This record gives sequence, structure tokens and C-alpha cells, in this order.
Amino acid sequence: MSEEKLEKLLNELAEKTAEPVNPVLAEQIKLRIPQRLVSRNIGGPINVIIDLRVSKLAAAAVIIITMIIMANFFGGRNQDGTSMYENGRLLLKYLVGGKDAERGDIAVGISKYYEELTNRGIEAAYYGDVIDLKDSNAVLMQWKLPGGEYRVIFSDLRPQTISAEELIKLQSQMLQKKTK
Amino acid sequence: METGQDSFVIRLKEGDRQAAAELVDRYYEQIYLFMRRLGHSRQVSEDLTQESFLQAWTHIGQLREGKTLNIWLYRIAGNVSRQCWRRHKRTASIDGFDVPSGGESDSDRAEHSEQLVRLKNAVAALPIKPRQAVVLHYMQYLTIAEAAEAAGVREGTFKSRLNKALKILRRQIG
Repeated sequence: MSEEKLEKLLNELAEKTAEPVNPVLAEQIKLRIPQRLVSRNIGGPINVIIDLRVSKLAAAAVIIITMIIMANFFGGRNQDGTSMYENGRLLLKYLVGGKDAERGDIAVGISKYYEELTNRGIEAAYYGDVIDLKDSNAVLMQWKLPGGEYRVIFSDLRPQTISAEELIKLQSQMLQKKTK
Repeated sequence: METGQDSFVIRLKEGDRQAAAELVDRYYEQIYLFMRRLGHSRQVSEDLTQESFLQAWTHIGQLREGKTLNIWLYRIAGNVSRQCWRRHKRTASIDGFDVPSGGESDSDRAEHSEQLVRLKNAVAALPIKPRQAVVLHYMQYLTIAEAAEAAGVREGTFKSRLNKALKILRRQIG
């Protein structure tokens, strides 16, 4: 086969494989745009945590605790003279404020996505009204895939495909947390 | 070159979330189809498209004025795809995407369809780098210079990668 014919076939293959793209995908991506695309200069290590966003609360907590311990040791001052307590407080303020704003956005965005799916005739379940949105392992929405597996969106917007058994396990964990 | 691209890049680098949303609207379809043509399933392609944009937000500081945005995104997406193949230690699924038959009845059309299916399978069976080269140039319609930049190699290296891929494909489909 000539190179020209092969190139033509490849172009044709490109046309034939240009399938329609799920329009909800764009909305899902937009929901994950970080609150701050550019880091703020409020202290070196803190910027790293802010870029990681609220889903990394555990990591942030470790650093805050470390800073407080260090502050106790060294009199509460960084090398540049700024207060470590101050940095810690700023970080906490960001995390708490950012968290509230973001969870609101998530609830609105996902409920739209849920409507979109149901309009397309896909049986989806939305748990936004009953789960703890701060729990990143809580299932926000789920629907069944043709192969028998389930597509799940967690409250931190992380999508994952899981088996029926795994879904049951997650739902039982959510139920346990709710009844506590 | 897109109109006003430099000012758009500046907006992105200044952290304009509206510009970030526009970036998604402009390119999410291209990136998704790129993933599909590389042989990822629909679900995985959606995940990897999301991952590519997340990586783009993280590396937004490295974006330079004068750079073509889609090339920058293709480069990120190509790396995301490669990492995925390495993680799963698998070659592309030959069922990764479908070639519609178009319902042809005469034998010529059927044979042509058959040839396209063979080509699709042969592309999916290529090693990662030559496969990316073929997809970028012939299926995403980037020029050699653009595709080389998206692949992160010099034009000469890219051309040689592409020639190698074409040679394999020609052998595979006869």
C-alpha cells in the first residue's frame, strides 16, 4: 500500500472515530478549576497546601500542627520575622472559607449533572441532600454502567468506576457514619 | 495562531477562572478524542481528559506567551495517557473505539470498511510513542512541527518515529 493511500485511510479513520463527546464532561472539569489558579505569597510551605485545595485537609492539619509545635520551640517567629501562628491562622481561615464556598458549588453542579443523566434516561442516584459533603469518601452520585459496574462521583468530585460489591461497602460505610 | 491568544494566556496566568472555563470549552472535545484515538475506553478517556486539565491548572505558571495553547494541552494529555498505560501495563484495547460500518452492502464498501477496522487495530497495537505520533499528526491534524512540539521531541526525531509507525502499519494492513 502506498504511503499516500495509508495517510488517506488514517484521515478517514479520524473522521469515522469523531464520536460525540459527553457535554457534561466540560461542566465536570469546570467544577474542578481551583479556587486559586495562581499561588498567593503568604508563606512558602503554605502555598503548596493551598494549591492542593481542601481535599488535602489532612496534610494541611499535619503542617499546622508542625508549625504550632515549632512555634512553641522557637518563640513563634519565622526567619523573616512573620508569626507562625499568623500563617497557621491564615491557612485555617482559607481552608474553612474555601471549603464552604466550594461545597456549595459542588452541590449545584452535580445536581445539574444528575438532571442531565436522568433526562438522558440513565437511572442515577443522587445523595447530595443526605450525605456529609465534608467526607471526601461519601458517594454524591452513582449510576449503573452497561457492563454491570457502577460509576460513582464522590463528594470531592473524584470519579471512579467500581463493582457492585464495592458500592454496597461504600453505602454501608455512609450509613454507619450517618447513624453515629 | 489564534486571535488574542497572548492576552488569553495572560488572563490564565493571572488566575482568571473565567479564562480557565473558556479553555475547557475550547479544548475538552479535542483532548477527549485524542484519548479515544490513543485507544482508551470512553470512561477512561473522560477521566484522563479531566486529569489533563487538572495538570494544566497545576502547571499554568509554565505556560509562556506565544505558545499555542492546544499544543501545550496535547503535551500534557500525551503524558497523562502514557502514565495511564504504564500504570496498567497494557497495550491499547482494540475495542477502544468503533468504526461505523455505514451499512454498506456492496463488496467494495465492505472491503473498505474491513480495511479501516484492520487499520484501527493496527494503530491500537503500535507502541505508545509511535501511536501518539500517528494520532497527533494524522488524526488530530497537527502539522509536523506542532506534533513534534506536542510530543516534546525535535522534528527530526518525530519524523523518524512517524516513519517507523507508518512502516509497521503498512506491513500490518497489507
